[in-house]
Amino acid sequence: MRAIEPWVLGPLRTFVAESSARIALLMTTSGQVVAQHGFTGALDLMAAAALGSGIVASGSELAMEMDWPPFRVVAHQGERQSHLLAWFDTPRGRWIALIVFGNETKLGLVQVFFDRMVDELVSAAPPEASQRREVLAADFERELNTSLRALFGR
Amino acid sequence: MTTGYAPLLESLTRLRGIRGAMVVSAEDGLVVAESLMGGIKGPSLAAMAASLTSRASELAVKAGLGAPRFLHLQAADGSLLVAPASSDLVLVAVAARDVPLGLLRLEMLRMAERLV
Amino acid sequence: MTEDIRALSAQFAADPSSLVFLRLGEALRHRGQAEAALKVALAGLSRYPHLPDAHDLYARVLADRQDYATAFDEWDTVLRLSPHHVGAHKGIGFLYYRAGEPEQALYHLRIAAELDPADAGLRTAVERVAGGREIWETPLPEAPPPPKVESTAPVGGAGDPFVGLEGAHERLLLVDQDGLRLGGGLVGPGGRDVSDVVAAVLASTTREAGRAARLLEMGEWNHLTVEGAEVGACLLNPTADTSLLATMGAGLPAGQLAYFAERAAKAARGWLERAR
Repeated sequence: MRAIEPWVLGPLRTFVAESSARIALLMTTSGQVVAQHGFTGALDLMAAAALGSGIVASGSELAMEMDWPPFRVVAHQGERQSHLLAWFDTPRGRWIALIVFGNETKLGLVQVFFDRMVDELVSAAPPEASQRREVLAADFERELNTSLRALFGR
Repeated sequence: MTTGYAPLLESLTRLRGIRGAMVVSAEDGLVVAESLMGGIKGPSLAAMAASLTSRASELAVKAGLGAPRFLHLQAADGSLLVAPASSDLVLVAVAARDVPLGLLRLEMLRMAERLV
Repeated sequence: MTEDIRALSAQFAADPSSLVFLRLGEALRHRGQAEAALKVALAGLSRYPHLPDAHDLYARVLADRQDYATAFDEWDTVLRLSPHHVGAHKGIGFLYYRAGEPEQALYHLRIAAELDPADAGLRTAVERVAGGREIWETPLPEAPPPPKVESTAPVGGAGDPFVGLEGAHERLLLVDQDGLRLGGGLVGPGGRDVSDVVAAVLASTTREAGRAARLLEMGEWNHLTVEGAEVGACLLNPTADTSLLATMGAGLPAGQLAYFAERAAKAARGWLERAR
């Protein structure tokens, strides 16, 4: 489990333990990865983050066209694996979560503990300058991709 | 609330000591219909009831009990009761302490047969 | 007999520290005054906690009350204090016989018969348990091994946590927090041993029950009953790090199942305390 800021780790760890999520990815709306958990070796994290934020943005646009409130959660159910994509607001701005889970848990459980994690993140976020946060996010991504290339030869 | 289940849930919640009743999707742990007193969190109740039912069902099948038809979680401050229906729905009730569990159990078993 | 009890009671009242409680307790037992016998036994035990005969009396009172698990513990204590105590060997032999462990029963009853060769009733009991085979000419064997567990060896002390309880090896299962079997056994339909298969999921199921009670703010959970069409099961935690499953036919009163499970949990706690 890795996060660019340590205060994210506690709530994320609790969420993963309680929900039995296989992969959890937290990112900004611009696709920068904030935290990740799970065997993400098979994922192109940058692409997943970018696509996830794109889906959320598209969903919001669609809701606006229909004159609906924005969709907060999108859940896709697969045969062996499902995922949940959701946005939430933190003192650091809007983040997006991509959660992958299997049949060992349930969508309802994932949602319940996801909501709790959001509350905990909002409570735990300390005030910090946004400029420093962006630099850290960039450093984290570089380090992460270097590790992935080293591990998986990519 | 899915209006089709409203009469069923209302007849259950009229029983003494019942703090809430709901119909839950067993696979997802999501609320299908609910009738809850204030202070009871529907999504949590649905998710936990479905999850516990799944675990207990796995154990029951392995132990040779077959698919369970009723579950009762007794705790210090009340009970959680679950009656799985055949159609991938479960009927869930939350009861305070000191309720006539025998009567409640019979009512839930009867109602679970009616769930479609 | 009534005069005896009166006289003994008077002696006991006059001097509660005397050993007359042993005779008084036994007299009350024979008279069927179970509650009074229990009080006398406990009073004596509190003054003489290391006296084998005090534990022996208490064990016999417990056996009268069908609290076989605690009776076993008490006789076991007697044998640790006095390895040649006839009463304890007889008592434990009786419990093993009742639990369907004839070899264990025979071992203890033969020792008792060797220690008290004048007891004709004891010799008869040995011959009955031996099932008609020639037993007196054979040398007394070493203590037989503890009852065989088919797959996973029990962790902790030797012996069976549920000895003396009905269904100790077919309807009661005790596991640790990792899903490893500690004692008991479970037999499924067709007589198949499903102990280890169920053990593997039992701990996680009780954890889920605890989690549900916690997250739904229902307080500490007591037990989870699962009702099947033919058989019911009750799950609970005898201790924080163990889980217990008890099963019973669905035709029996539902309330009995939780009671049966609680009794088994009590036996398990006693066994775990000794083992640790």
